[in-house]
Amino acid sequence: MAILLVLFIPRAANDPSFFVQILVYGLANGAIYALIALGYTMVYGIIELINFAHGDVFTLGAFVSLPLIGAFGLTEGQSASLGLYAALLVIAIIVMLILGGVNVLIERIAYRPLRHAPRLAPLITAVGMSFILEGLMYIWRGANNIHYPDFLPAGRISLGGSASIGYKDLIVIALAVVFVIVLTTFINRSKLGKAMRATAQDQDAAQLMGIDINRTIAATFFIGAILAGAGGIIFGLYFNTVRFDLGFQAGLFAFTAAVFGGIGNIQGAAIGGLFIGLVKAYSDGYFTSQLTDVWIFSILILVLVFRPTGLLGMRVPEK
Amino acid sequence: MRLSKLLAGLAVASVALAACGTSGGGTANKGTIKIGVDLPESGAEASDGIPTLNGVKYAVQTAGTVEGFTIEVSNLDDSVNGVHDPQKGAQNLQQFVNDSKVLGVVGPFNSSVARAEIPISNRAHLAQISPANTNQCLTKNIYIPTTLGAPKDITCKDAGILAPADLRPTGINNYFRVATTDDLQGPAMADYAVDVLKVTKLGVASDNEVYGKGIADTFSAEFKNKGGTVVLRNDFDTKSTNDFRGFLQSAKSKGAQGIYFGGTDSNKGCVVRSQASGIFAVDTPYMGGDGLQTSQCLKDAGQMASGIYAAVAAPNAEQIPESASIISGFKTAFSKKDDFGAYTMPAYDCAKILIAAIKRAIQANNGNMPSREQVRAEVAKTSDFVGALGKTSFDANGDTSQKIISIYQAKGTPVDWVWVKQINYAAK
Repeated sequence: MAILLVLFIPRAANDPSFFVQILVYGLANGAIYALIALGYTMVYGIIELINFAHGDVFTLGAFVSLPLIGAFGLTEGQSASLGLYAALLVIAIIVMLILGGVNVLIERIAYRPLRHAPRLAPLITAVGMSFILEGLMYIWRGANNIHYPDFLPAGRISLGGSASIGYKDLIVIALAVVFVIVLTTFINRSKLGKAMRATAQDQDAAQLMGIDINRTIAATFFIGAILAGAGGIIFGLYFNTVRFDLGFQAGLFAFTAAVFGGIGNIQGAAIGGLFIGLVKAYSDGYFTSQLTDVWIFSILILVLVFRPTGLLGMRVPEK
Repeated sequence: MRLSKLLAGLAVASVALAACGTSGGGTANKGTIKIGVDLPESGAEASDGIPTLNGVKYAVQTAGTVEGFTIEVSNLDDSVNGVHDPQKGAQNLQQFVNDSKVLGVVGPFNSSVARAEIPISNRAHLAQISPANTNQCLTKNIYIPTTLGAPKDITCKDAGILAPADLRPTGINNYFRVATTDDLQGPAMADYAVDVLKVTKLGVASDNEVYGKGIADTFSAEFKNKGGTVVLRNDFDTKSTNDFRGFLQSAKSKGAQGIYFGGTDSNKGCVVRSQASGIFAVDTPYMGGDGLQTSQCLKDAGQMASGIYAAVAAPNAEQIPESASIISGFKTAFSKKDDFGAYTMPAYDCAKILIAAIKRAIQANNGNMPSREQVRAEVAKTSDFVGALGKTSFDANGDTSQKIISIYQAKGTPVDWVWVKQINYAAK
């Protein structure tokens, strides 16, 4: 780690505007990881299941939005207008509702019947669901990289020197922040949020208090899918390329982010996502990209050795 | 003039074939000989595999019966989940080996697949001719030769890649190809970059696969040899990397006038280009090998498609006047635009070379079904075979005598691949 810093600091000081530029890329990438990580962390927090299919629900968000963009008559290159963004918002809401339905269905078919089965069984059905979703998307759109239309404004704001931040980057980061704040408020303040926290703490006691466990868990999956759907559309608009197996790697990093921040912890997932985005960006920018995963997981191991519950601590049922 | 000669030749050949058929008397059909074809036929690489398969099909259609035997195409798909898969290729080859009617194989498309297949076909003495493999280590044990400025030849073993001898357990070569090698494909683009595009500083990236890293390495060697500077080198795990702007920004800040990417479009080769938007100007040179020379690449690159240059390790048959009749014949038989691709004519030549060898083997075997070893030996003897790519001979390693690299540029509206130049390294 010391060697890393010795190598890194002089180069960063040498060209500060490059350092700032990479910071921007890292934050924007991290914001997308954070959105996916939130879905992992919520589901794990409530039923202690690593929902491997979550990354693919994220990809599905981008895939489902593509035909809707066509149906709304939006074409790449059309000038930015209020109508365009209103249409995108409507598309995003439709996608979120569809994905919410899909995710609730997945929970109903593959996880609920196994809720009292040994822990490994739902883990395997989750892996299975991940492959099924990937396979369906492959059959639907093939294995090509699919071009996703670019609708976000292209302008950039100078940050001094050659560094600049695009409106695109700003939008992605702002959306992630909004989602984290809304989600935290929802879980802390709303009745359903309270039911979710109660279910997470002790399912039997929650049921005795009159909480409908099945409905609460389904709601958790629904909200997770909304976040994944938003993430998928944002990813498409930001990178302009999607592919059927995108969710596998993105999901893996997002899950790592959730563990890093303390699984079950909303703010932790957001911070974990940003962290992974930043490490990836700096590693790709300053070192060779083959070392990127090495950095991420070395730091992860160090953090977990000293703080086994993650950076901000776990929020999972105490058994 | 030459065209008419060729047509006359074809006419004579068909008369001769017809004569063979009649002279055979009652035993008009002596049975079936199969040509195995292994290519990626589904998913992202179907746009490579299908036009290539069509070339073989057309060659077999126009060959008719050979010495009383019917020739049949037996094609298998080596892609899994839409991407070429060495294990699947090896299984396919095993299937060909188990079918006694298969006397030769055309394929595969990808060098990594060839690496898995050659040991299997080699044990069976089954001749295999690839239209598109370019990795130098499939036939030669030199990864980067001294001619590219290396102080001594860097062998495949030095680079951590299996040497040709390791792939051939019988010690007898059964693998041939009509495409030339990456130790020319990479450097050819370096020559073009320095001599024609006049760039001296570049960022180099690859998808870290055998093919992609190979051409990135040989490109860099020649580029430095010619006085250029590689300001930044990065080999990406393209499956886990979505954002290449850190690399692009870093290359730009170090003074790069363009980027060389060794790899394929399915490994995001042209997504990297699209992300250069806002960092590099449109039309800034972005160079690569034949892995980028696809229509999918232009789609992926989007607004930044113009200014991509790709080297392809084969001559462009459309530039050879004598081949015009073959191409027009093909386009009559396979009329859709997507039926014809960069490797259609190379595959046509592979199949024609194989059929010619089978014919000679039958004749040498008194008109009976020849053995695989006889066919393999006849393929190895191929000398000055006149096909759609010009004259082809095979050397002892199985490499083609044609050392021609074609350079293509993406330009125009709508942006499309345009042949700009060919560089012939046979004379050098």
